[in-house]
Amino acid sequence: MSAGSTTGVREAGGTHRATPAPRRAGTGAAYRWELVKLAALVRTRATLAAVLVLPPLVVLLLRGQRAPADTLFGRHVHDSGFAVPLLLLGFATQYVFPLLTSVVAGDVFASEDQHGTWKTLLTRSVSRTQVFWAKTLAATTFAAAVLVVLAASSTVASVLLVGHQPLTGLSGQSIPAPRAALLVVGAWASTALPLLGFTALAVLLSVRTRNPALGVVGPVVAGLLMNLVGSLGGTGWLRRALLSTPLEAWHGLFTATPFWGPLVQGAVVSLLWTALCLGAAHHSLRRRDITGG
Amino acid sequence: MTVTTAPPPPRRFLVPVAGLLAAVGLVVGLSAAGSPDVTRARVEGSLTPAFTRLYVDQQRILGHEVPAASVAARSACDRGGPQVADVGAGADWICLVDFTDQAGAHQQGKFELQVHANACWTAAGPAKLVGGFTITDTRGRDVTNPLSAFDVCFDPDA
Amino acid sequence: MTNSLAVRAEGLTKHYGTLTAVDGISVEVAEGEVYGILGPNGAGKTTFLRMLFGLVRPDAGVLEVFGRSWARDGTATLDGVSGFIESPRFYPYLSGRRNLQLLAGLDGGVPAARVAEVLDVVDLAGRAGEAVAGYSFGMRQRLGVAASLLRAPRLLVLDEPANGLDPAGIRDMRALVGRLAASGLTVLLSSHDMDEVEQICDNVTIMKQGSVAYHGTIAALRRQAPPPAHLLSTSDDRAAAALAAGRPQLAVTASEGRLAVRGTQAAVDFYVSTLVRAGVAVRSLTPGETPLEALFFLLTESGPEDPPGPAAAAVPAAAQGGRR
Repeated sequence: MSAGSTTGVREAGGTHRATPAPRRAGTGAAYRWELVKLAALVRTRATLAAVLVLPPLVVLLLRGQRAPADTLFGRHVHDSGFAVPLLLLGFATQYVFPLLTSVVAGDVFASEDQHGTWKTLLTRSVSRTQVFWAKTLAATTFAAAVLVVLAASSTVASVLLVGHQPLTGLSGQSIPAPRAALLVVGAWASTALPLLGFTALAVLLSVRTRNPALGVVGPVVAGLLMNLVGSLGGTGWLRRALLSTPLEAWHGLFTATPFWGPLVQGAVVSLLWTALCLGAAHHSLRRRDITGG
Repeated sequence: MTVTTAPPPPRRFLVPVAGLLAAVGLVVGLSAAGSPDVTRARVEGSLTPAFTRLYVDQQRILGHEVPAASVAARSACDRGGPQVADVGAGADWICLVDFTDQAGAHQQGKFELQVHANACWTAAGPAKLVGGFTITDTRGRDVTNPLSAFDVCFDPDA
Repeated sequence: MTNSLAVRAEGLTKHYGTLTAVDGISVEVAEGEVYGILGPNGAGKTTFLRMLFGLVRPDAGVLEVFGRSWARDGTATLDGVSGFIESPRFYPYLSGRRNLQLLAGLDGGVPAARVAEVLDVVDLAGRAGEAVAGYSFGMRQRLGVAASLLRAPRLLVLDEPANGLDPAGIRDMRALVGRLAASGLTVLLSSHDMDEVEQICDNVTIMKQGSVAYHGTIAALRRQAPPPAHLLSTSDDRAAAALAAGRPQLAVTASEGRLAVRGTQAAVDFYVSTLVRAGVAVRSLTPGETPLEALFFLLTESGPEDPPGPAAAAVPAAAQGGRR
């Protein structure tokens, strides 16, 4: 496309001018612009700010209080700085984990319906598939950023404020500081794949329901329901198929003899959920007739 | 307006209903499959070594160095009386731990376990035997008693 | 050679459940011409344009843009095609300039200076830094045209571009479209306003309830149009109607409380003077609908029993016979 000309040119006699193949934008460009759009939203910056600022506040809050005994490692929060990040991890995975990603992923597709901008977006040089992957990657990037900031903020704040004493593990053993630090990082990292699964679930709801509220709240409700079902006894393999179960697989890192079964199973289950949800969402977007905005 | 014939109404609902039935079938099938995660062997197998380590810790706080081997702990767990099967999560697990204390005497403690479905349990120890919530260490400070309440997790596939 | 056609549609059909939005229409738009698609609301114009842009998947038929089709070539079909459907929508939390930069980024191959250029063309450079949420309707329409010009299109598709604008805005929009058309760009314009289409389009397709009611040049359409009608208001309409009865080359019918007078200029002049001599006062004689407007209503408001007309000269015979 030549720069500077405002319009096409019709050759005399109607001969067809050979136009050079235009440089088409790809998923990369679409991904960068999705990030620009996300960065301009208040919710993105607010969430990142919240997960940065809240953990140190929680650590300070816990200082004067009796150690909470209802969550794993709660009773050790005064004894070791490595206990608080694990307490926060346990608390987050119980209640708010899906929200950390659905606040963006549940909205990233539905907002186009809300603003009526699908027709603006899809009449460019990018295909629906490229737009789908750009948005999904942008939502995943945000989720990863939130996870990293939350993990880092919790760990650094509590090690600084409480100290790096040895941690009592889940078999009553004492874990020295360097190993404890490594295991804490590993525990947070193990939630990345289930978080990806919840991102995919939020994307699916965002694409199918076209409603930002459902896209954001849906995965939270799903997470709570799955937690509930998972806490019931006698559910056999159903528990292992839920997306909330891999969020607790990090327990295996903290026993005297670490066990990896739940971590491996959790990874497989998370990837399966991700593939199914994203596959369904992609299919839905490709086939949709854009009749409104 | 040209009117094309719509598919007969029952057929429109066929796919969603089939999907729902498949989902329900999957849920029921998965629930029935597999063996229970929480079994007596796993609970006992995780209680014994944990108790041993925590007892050693407690004694160290009180100023006695007790070798782990000398504790010789054995645990026997039962869930909710003779009528209830000893499997599954619940707050009614009672475990009796026989061990040799730091003075060489045989002791037996009754621990109440809350076992959760995620293969972790919380134990409350008998205050008369293992002490209350806090114990006084050699320097006179009050510290948390490691044996009064503790959390342990086990491998559900072990 | 299909390459000389900007747009070629053949037997294009779209159903939404039991409703047929577009029923087997065929359209050919040559390169470089200004083509109008006309029809009342619900005629299927927007659905046709949505199929062109790949927003809606046709149920049957062929649709090619510069020889490319969605089924075969995917997004490459839109190379060199720009435009907007209904009123253009943007991201309200981004500024106008940012929106254009985003769209330029997604278009690919658009130089950075282009954004400023198109903002100048539509006269939005001053307000481009504000968030689109604060734009008026007219500003958003202009921003939509700017977005369409970003990648120097060969085909510009505009869906009711003057919709919702005030008269000054409408005038500016028509001037802009006229300028673009004059420079050789192929323009496909959809509208429900015959006047607008008449002024700038070379060829036109009139749609009615999903089918083509007329297909051809504006000049041919004008030749088929009934003679202009005047609206007459008198002090005694019944007497006036009686006086007109039996006169050659004159047709007087009651219309919305007044009389509609159709005929040659000479016949109308004579009729008015006859009225005055007969003692019937003429209170007002004003031009009624333009000929093309009349033809448009005729073509698009016929009952459902009319068969959907194929290509040229589908004007109902009754109207033609009665008016001429």
